[in-house]
Amino acid sequence: MATYLIRRLLLMIPTVLGITLMVFLIVALAPGGIGAGLAVQGGQMSDTSKVAQMQAYLEDRYGLNDPVVVQYGRWIARVCPVRFGMTSLESPSGERIPVPRELPEPPMQWAFAAPAAFEVTFTPQSGDALVEEFRALQRDAEGRRRTYVGSVRAFKDALADHVRSLGEPWTSRLDPKGGADPQKFRDLPLDSSPTTSPAQTDAATQGMTATWAKVNAAAEQMHLAWSLAEEARQRATIAFKARPFPAAGIEVIRDVVSIDSPDFGVAFSRNRPVWDLIKTALPVTMLINLIAFPIIYLVAVPTGVLASVRRGGAADVASGFFFLLLYSVPVVLAGVFAIGFLANNQYLGWFPVSGLHDSAEATMTFLPYTDESGAWHRGWLLDTLWHLALPVLCLVYGGFAVLSKQTRASMLDNFSADYVRTARAKGVSRKDIVISHVLRNSLLPLITMFVGIFPAMLGGSVVVERIFTIPGMGSLVIEAINLRDRELILANTFMISSVSLLALLMADILYALCDPRVAYE
Amino acid sequence: MSASSDTPLPSPPLLSVADLAVSFDNGAGPRIQAVAGVSLTIHPQQTLAVVGESGCGKSVTAMTTMQLIPCPPGRVDRGTILFGGRDLLSLSEREMLKIRGGEIAMIFQEPMTSLNPVYSIGDQILEAIFLHQKVSPDEAVETALKALDEVGIYQPIESRLKRELVALRTDVDAGKASIDAVRDLERTLPERIRGLKMQLLSDYPHRYSGGMRQRVMIAMALACQPTLLLADEPTTALDVTIQAQILELLSDLQRRRGMGIMLITHNLGVVAENADVACVMYAGRVVEYATVEQLFDRPMHPYTRGLFRSIPGVRDSRTRLTTVEDVVDNPAEFRLLPRCQDGIVPWWPFLPQEHRPQLAAGREPYALYEIEPNRWVGVWRTPFIEAHPSRRADLSTLRSKSVVGSA
Repeated sequence: MATYLIRRLLLMIPTVLGITLMVFLIVALAPGGIGAGLAVQGGQMSDTSKVAQMQAYLEDRYGLNDPVVVQYGRWIARVCPVRFGMTSLESPSGERIPVPRELPEPPMQWAFAAPAAFEVTFTPQSGDALVEEFRALQRDAEGRRRTYVGSVRAFKDALADHVRSLGEPWTSRLDPKGGADPQKFRDLPLDSSPTTSPAQTDAATQGMTATWAKVNAAAEQMHLAWSLAEEARQRATIAFKARPFPAAGIEVIRDVVSIDSPDFGVAFSRNRPVWDLIKTALPVTMLINLIAFPIIYLVAVPTGVLASVRRGGAADVASGFFFLLLYSVPVVLAGVFAIGFLANNQYLGWFPVSGLHDSAEATMTFLPYTDESGAWHRGWLLDTLWHLALPVLCLVYGGFAVLSKQTRASMLDNFSADYVRTARAKGVSRKDIVISHVLRNSLLPLITMFVGIFPAMLGGSVVVERIFTIPGMGSLVIEAINLRDRELILANTFMISSVSLLALLMADILYALCDPRVAYE
Repeated sequence: MSASSDTPLPSPPLLSVADLAVSFDNGAGPRIQAVAGVSLTIHPQQTLAVVGESGCGKSVTAMTTMQLIPCPPGRVDRGTILFGGRDLLSLSEREMLKIRGGEIAMIFQEPMTSLNPVYSIGDQILEAIFLHQKVSPDEAVETALKALDEVGIYQPIESRLKRELVALRTDVDAGKASIDAVRDLERTLPERIRGLKMQLLSDYPHRYSGGMRQRVMIAMALACQPTLLLADEPTTALDVTIQAQILELLSDLQRRRGMGIMLITHNLGVVAENADVACVMYAGRVVEYATVEQLFDRPMHPYTRGLFRSIPGVRDSRTRLTTVEDVVDNPAEFRLLPRCQDGIVPWWPFLPQEHRPQLAAGREPYALYEIEPNRWVGVWRTPFIEAHPSRRADLSTLRSKSVVGSA
């Protein structure tokens, strides 16, 4: 059994990797690519070049300008519990602070004399002052990096303008995003416009076209920005190495290998750690489902048993008809009707229309009570249940049919089994046969069913959560998809697929416990 | 084979089925008459073999005796089933619960599926014991162990341990082991055997072979000391050696406990070896009822004759086998019956109209008739039969069986 478990658990790793890779590729293949959700809306900014620079900065920040495989590898490295390289630090708020990123060198150094590399040396402070200093350096480095990335973009745009002004064959060297692709100019003299001779850097503006002058100016700016950004980065790195915060997770070998909990990154769309979002959404969905599933099982299983015992009788026909009727009502319609009739003040108005809590939630006591004036206060618990009534209703009503039919079919299968005849020949009463022989055997397929439904608890039921504006996993997933928030989608996929696989394993273990014929050796 | 010497048994019979008719609902079509007037008796210590082809009503007769026919679609049209002076058909379900398993036990054809896969063997035997006996859990376990012992489930374990002991003794003689080891083993042997037995009790059926499962079924059926055992093709699913073991086991248990057995089979070899009285059935009716010796010596009804002739022999393997139809579709065969000149014609549903005798009006055309002393044959109900009523089919004979190597 232990060997089996270990093998199954190990097999889960490639499975989860495969699932996340698939999702990653699908996100990458979607129109606009991985960063589509980040596309800055140009309307607010007057200057289109500013928009482009902002875009360039965001792409740099989230690593979107790398090939898909590299991005996926980076994601895996973050999620993988074993980390290599410089150990991240953990701030008191639990935020993971990785080592400041390497700065890409300015492009086209063969054409524009690159600024010389340099080493910054300085002694960081210690104690609380170090934290302050590091934070400041971090901000500084990020700001300068932003300027630098923007200047690279400006340089490329200038280059593109220059190329466009020259016409063929240069236009083929523009990249699809509008800038020029520096790699495509490696074999060509850059200033080779038809009207001028090769430019000398000291020849100032003589013979130089206006566009080429702009390119040169942009390159100068870019090199300056690089020097500043590089200096800030080096300072921040030195401060980082002085460890203003403790190392995150468990360091196995300092700055080489460490073990840490998965880091799902920051959601693009909300600029908040993904894990925070999941942490708030997951309990909501779990709560709804933990109420809904027992209701489904407690209603459907006994009904199915009753229907099979009185096969063809009134209970069988009525439950079959009624449950199938419910099953055929779309959740969307039922939800709208529930809100329209049960929650609407113009009709019954028994239930709240949306949300999970009353607006006065913060001032509520947990349990209901009656105050001195005799007024009754429902308290937080009842308020939550009251809000949950309609969503749970919408979640459960469609589930009865499948489960009760499954129970009924499974029971009927077992009723005609030979061992039931044996039990009857032994003199076991019909009631005991139903409960201890038939039901016991019929429950086995229901185990599989339950575990099959289990991952749905995490996925949340998108429709119900949308209709009743409940901030659960379903809402989170659909929002992540709408905004193409890669980090959120991947984290959700990762969670749901891991839990599904664990649930399947749990089903197999439960099955082995319930059915002596199944054994894993 | 066995030497035959008939010893009369004291009346009354253990089980007496009279004119039983059972039919099943067939949806839109007419009801299917599975059993149409079966009469038979079983005396203590007697084995009644019920023989016939598939669908002739053997199992339905046994199941009706146990009241295990689902109603609907099944329905008992008429008849009585007397057991211990009571008509089982008139008993309530609650009263039947006590009889099922307690006084009448039943074993089935499919040992592989007849045990509940999710309960241990011990649980299933104990369930039967607790239902019918007021015993403490410890006593029930003892009863279960004894029942399993009786069906010989532990024999392989015991013999293995004994072989170990013998091997160890040989080693001691050869100087390879010390005498202390032998003493240790001898001392712990009963304990170890008991431990293994208890372990078997907590085993699940899927770990057992078909023959072993059938033994468990028998142990379960016999744990409550029933006086009548209905064995519905107990060996059909088993291979020949296991079949012989199981039948030997049944007759051994029968001798020790004096219970009556209804042995349902379509294997005439099984009948010849194990039964006292044979009852041949066709189409829901008994066509011949006689002691096994008489039946095998001189089958009378054309169907029985056809049945016997369709057994393949070694010699005539190259020629085409006689089929039942060859015999019963031949009108000449019907004239072979004794007293044929009196107007007694064996009943056969497909006998052409021109060959049928003139029938007595108003009754059903079939009757079980004592054609010779202690021989009953199913015949057409002619005016002669109406005028000369016969005894009901009841044979209390037992044949003395040769005791073959019992434990």
